[in-house]
Amino acid sequence: MKAVFRKKYKAADSLTAYGMLFPAFAILSIFGVLPLLMAIGESFQDYTTKAFTFANFDYILKTPEFLKSFGNAILFTVIITALMLVLSFLFAHIVKGMHSSCGSIVKIVIYVPCLISSVATSIIFTFLLNYGGGLITSILVAMKLEPISFLTQGIWPQTVVIAVTLWCGFGYNTLVMLAGLLNIPKDYYEAAAIDGAGAFTCMIRITIPGMTNYFILMLINLITGNMQMLDIPYMITGGGPLNRTLTPALYLYNSFRDSSRTQNVTIAGALVIMVVILVINAVAFGLMRSKKSED
Amino acid sequence: MKKKKAVIYTIVGFVVAAVLLFPIIWMLPAAFKPRAELFGIPNTFFPKDPTLDNFTKVFQMKLNGYGFVRSLFVTLLVATGATALSLAVNTMAGYVFARLNFRGKNVLWIYFLCTMFIPGITILLTSIKVVNMLGMMDTVFVLIIPAASNAYNIFFFRQFYLGIPENIEEAAVVDGASKFKIFYKIFLPMSVTPMVVIGVGVFMGNYNSFLWPTLTIVNQPNLAMVMQVIRLLSSSYASRFGIVIAATVMSLIIPLTVFGVFQKKIIEGIAITGMK
Repeated sequence: MKAVFRKKYKAADSLTAYGMLFPAFAILSIFGVLPLLMAIGESFQDYTTKAFTFANFDYILKTPEFLKSFGNAILFTVIITALMLVLSFLFAHIVKGMHSSCGSIVKIVIYVPCLISSVATSIIFTFLLNYGGGLITSILVAMKLEPISFLTQGIWPQTVVIAVTLWCGFGYNTLVMLAGLLNIPKDYYEAAAIDGAGAFTCMIRITIPGMTNYFILMLINLITGNMQMLDIPYMITGGGPLNRTLTPALYLYNSFRDSSRTQNVTIAGALVIMVVILVINAVAFGLMRSKKSED
Repeated sequence: MKKKKAVIYTIVGFVVAAVLLFPIIWMLPAAFKPRAELFGIPNTFFPKDPTLDNFTKVFQMKLNGYGFVRSLFVTLLVATGATALSLAVNTMAGYVFARLNFRGKNVLWIYFLCTMFIPGITILLTSIKVVNMLGMMDTVFVLIIPAASNAYNIFFFRQFYLGIPENIEEAAVVDGASKFKIFYKIFLPMSVTPMVVIGVGVFMGNYNSFLWPTLTIVNQPNLAMVMQVIRLLSSSYASRFGIVIAATVMSLIIPLTVFGVFQKKIIEGIAITGMK
């Protein structure tokens, strides 16, 4: 990864380089870095006096709704990440073991949910789970069971959010896992077979160590994505019932649109999310790295 | 033994694929159901009394003076424009970092990489302030420019260009071609596959986007993106859900067509992007 650059530069090359980089640099700076700097500035600013203060952070970290949403997000992230890693890993094995022509059909089909927007996804599942007369209700009724109000009852709202999120990302993650599996040299397995290693030993000694980089990548993507979860709870459950599916991003989004709440506090909350994501990722990365160096 | 395993895997694979596809399939015929049949026990797959009413209504209705088909078309144009801009900006940057040497390269590269770690939600509100200051609110620019550059995509193109052998450009260098010409004439034509992979992703992201347009296209209904419109429909036509389903089905045609055309490259591309 680390490149060694020659120290001699041609003047004309430098000019071309700066010219060609300019659009990307300008866009990233104006719509990425500048808003971040503004957010940092405003989060330490008093809303009325503009004086430097820590009060915004103090306030947001004592807001019960925000703390609750964080708890929800951590629960969602842990469950979704664990299930996604395990399920996509297993299913990638299945796809790898299929007849290759069937495998390519399955690869295409499982990717289709990844193309559907969150708006369309919410409509698809609202239709399926409709309490009054959706498919699931009619199946339950046919089985002489009580219909379930999926968006309000017990742990069902959380379950729906988790299931729909898994549905959206499963295809993509399976394909990444599959790429990782196919990337492990076949000779390793052949050599192991000659040595009389069983399927389980192969899994522990060859497959899992060989996939470490893929696991790190997916882990970071899943954590970063799910800690920012917004669309699915916003559109399916609206964060309810009783904030049980409220996520920090959704809380902030609602606050942004609510002019009665001071923006500086909301922005402080947005920075808290960033710090939490960065810390979790650093820890995940560190754990994976240290495990890798043990092998 | 091995053959038996392949058969079992194939069956399991198809069952899982069918389960994943099922929610979408279940919705399709519902677009042809009359209002009374949409919800009911038992809920049937095929409409007993199929009708085109829902689609006629979608074609006829006007939301703030503009039709649904128009909004589909506008979204298609905006997403295409955004994709073209994004590809131009990111291929250039990827090429520069892979192939050119200049003062400040390392520092700039680290600066670019750092932008990957800025979560969208953190800068949502201040981005809107920036857009507002620049006078981009309610214009097409707000939909295509802010997200055009993306460090992940630059990273991806850089990796691709790093993999191209050095001697490819030697002949051109001897001919005295400029670096930009070398990029334009040699590297760009070679990068069709990564451009399709990234381009389709950017296109889908723009076509499906909902939050950003909702916050930035507020007083300009002729620029409303299709997902914004469907979301609006689902709250205003909650009692006639068939219309919402018909509109959703229509909105799926474009992404599914794009996927159908490029599916082979996309599936391959995920294998490559996963490796970075």
